[in-house]
Amino acid sequence: MKFIDRSTDPWLLLPDSEIAGPAPHRLLPLAQWEAVRDNWPADVPVGVLLPNTADAEALAADLPRIALVALEFPKWVDGRAYSQAHALRARLRYAGEIRATGDVVVDMMPLLQRCGVDAVLLREGQRQSSAERALGFFPMGHYQGDVLQTRPKFAREVA
Amino acid sequence: MKELQYIVSSMGGIACLLPSNETKTMYQYTDFDRQFVHARAAQFRDQLERNLAGELSDDDFRPLRLQNGWYIQRHAPMTRIAIPYGELSSRQLRQLARVATEFDKGFLHFTTRQNAQFNWIPLPRAADAMDLLAEADMHGIQTSGNCIRNITTDVFAGIAPDEVVDPRPYCEILRQWSTLQPEFAFLPRKFKIAVSGAVEDRAAIGWHDIGLQLVRNDLGEVGFKVLVGGGMGRTPLIGAGSTEYLPWNQILVYIEAIVRVYNRFGRRDNAYKARIKILVKSEGPKFFEAVEEEFRKILADDAGGHAHIIPQAEFDRVAAFFTRPAKVHPAIGGFDPHRTGAAPVPFLRWLDRNVHAHQVEGYRAVTLSLKRPGLPPGDVTSEQMEAAATMADRYSLGELRVSHDQNLVLPWVREADLRAVWHAAKDAGFATPNIGLLTDMISCPGGDLCALANARSIPIAAAITEQFDDLDALLDLGDIDLHMSGCMNSCGHHHTGHIGILGIDKDGAEWYQVSVGGSDGSTLSGASVPGKVIGPSFAAEEVPGVIQALIDTFREQRAANERFVDTARRIGVAPFRAAADLVRRETAVAA
Repeated sequence: MKFIDRSTDPWLLLPDSEIAGPAPHRLLPLAQWEAVRDNWPADVPVGVLLPNTADAEALAADLPRIALVALEFPKWVDGRAYSQAHALRARLRYAGEIRATGDVVVDMMPLLQRCGVDAVLLREGQRQSSAERALGFFPMGHYQGDVLQTRPKFAREVA
Repeated sequence: MKELQYIVSSMGGIACLLPSNETKTMYQYTDFDRQFVHARAAQFRDQLERNLAGELSDDDFRPLRLQNGWYIQRHAPMTRIAIPYGELSSRQLRQLARVATEFDKGFLHFTTRQNAQFNWIPLPRAADAMDLLAEADMHGIQTSGNCIRNITTDVFAGIAPDEVVDPRPYCEILRQWSTLQPEFAFLPRKFKIAVSGAVEDRAAIGWHDIGLQLVRNDLGEVGFKVLVGGGMGRTPLIGAGSTEYLPWNQILVYIEAIVRVYNRFGRRDNAYKARIKILVKSEGPKFFEAVEEEFRKILADDAGGHAHIIPQAEFDRVAAFFTRPAKVHPAIGGFDPHRTGAAPVPFLRWLDRNVHAHQVEGYRAVTLSLKRPGLPPGDVTSEQMEAAATMADRYSLGELRVSHDQNLVLPWVREADLRAVWHAAKDAGFATPNIGLLTDMISCPGGDLCALANARSIPIAAAITEQFDDLDALLDLGDIDLHMSGCMNSCGHHHTGHIGILGIDKDGAEWYQVSVGGSDGSTLSGASVPGKVIGPSFAAEEVPGVIQALIDTFREQRAANERFVDTARRIGVAPFRAAADLVRRETAVAA
């Protein structure tokens, strides 16, 4: 899990109102990406901020040129973005960065990781050391498969 | 460490000592299961310590403690312990008794979802209590919160004469799959699954978010009929058929599809409209089309999609825990309670109400009634837990069940032991012969203990128990389901009661709405349907009188041997309403 440092993170989130010109490390809200995608140069990697109500599968054709998908947690107990992360990884085989943003707290770490999120922008005030510890409680693995370990326990044992 | 178990034969009075691990009647934890529960306990301890140290705010801690079973209640936290599909060993019950004695005030409450609750354990001692429970392979994982909850089933699973398929191996596979499933830990609202494998539905599957009925097709192959979108609460709805036959090995994939559609599209703007039932009702056929499409995509496209089709070898591994115990030998010849002379009437009554038919000739299931004067419905003391554990060891291969009706059941009682079991049940206060009768009521803890409740249920239950203490009269009334909830969360399943009582809050005072004619979906009660409210709510003092008025109306209108619920269906709500209105004092104006 990559912990994003706000002071050094190169990605620039553009507000909805601003029309984005092609430039590296631009993070575009989905609606804006849809407005500029046809004119976006193939060699300029882009980031897209996906609202948690969006269908991740709608991004399928664009994924090869998207370097970063940022998922939104408006409240940390709103679990819709976990299904988006799952769709991006398990269904669309997306290999770029999936970043959890918004109300992201320490105790979401194991769930995020298992759904395929590989970078987090923690809510202000959350301790990175606690978040790292939160990733280590289940060294024996889990019952069901997930994005990282696609086989459930019963299939792992047979193999 | 070898534990010893006493098996006492009442036939010959010979006691023999056998290691308990020779008797395998239920799922046995593997090393993995045990490590997993301890890991969860360590994770919770870390969260609790961060909360107590001020790093984790109470607001952020709340959903975490809920998913470990910890509520903050009126007097202390309430903690809910999972009893997967209601199967409990004597060893586990003894550990619950120990926790009740050392951490609580010596009580435990059983719930309609086959779980158990402590009401008096202080939060700073929560992690220590969980460690003790983990020693006996118990935990509170996903007993609350907006996640997939404990899977429930038929209390007579594996022993019911009308069983088509034993549901327990499927329940265990579902338990494992749903435990800490990472994508579905923060759903719009709680999510409950019930499984039935018998002709009679004793698990109220139509009232669950997902109800699973095990069936066999024309070739004798096992599959599931799947219902989606049942639930109680403010908008009582019965589950709708999603598929009539799904091959058993695809069930995890199919449930994944249902829950994913719900996670994405279920309402999150209003907690009262967030259950899957609202989504199913508003979307109708579109919901089921979305599920079918998602199911197809998981199998066609997803990495790991096929991996969750259950292999026969895995099913066989799990099912091996639930094979009929080697010690169970059918005893041919029938049971005669008068074998040694005329049996006492109380014993015959107990046989009639509290003893149930069994798959194995010579065996019966025995209900230990937790509905008796002096204790709230579903409550046991530490001493009673010890007594029930001893009875389970002596007479039921060390196994007990928690029933949906908040009683305990001994599933493996030999007919030859029934007289001895009756005496032991009497000694421990479990022998009230009222199973299925008016006083065998379902009730939540209500406003005495629960912070969510609008009104108390324990004093109402006590008043009704006291009022209907004449056993002859109770038996004459026959089967009546009385269900009572202290608030609209419906923990006491008031919608499904032949008589339902719901606590509501009006201007800070306790009021009670009464309904008639509800059904949990059992054969006796008819197709699942919520009861009909009989007018404006009543004051607490009026409720016992209202119940009396309903019963009197039933007596007057009853056809020969008719059951209450059938009379209610036949004559409708009006006569009950009229009789109840005569009882109104405080609410006379409102009426």
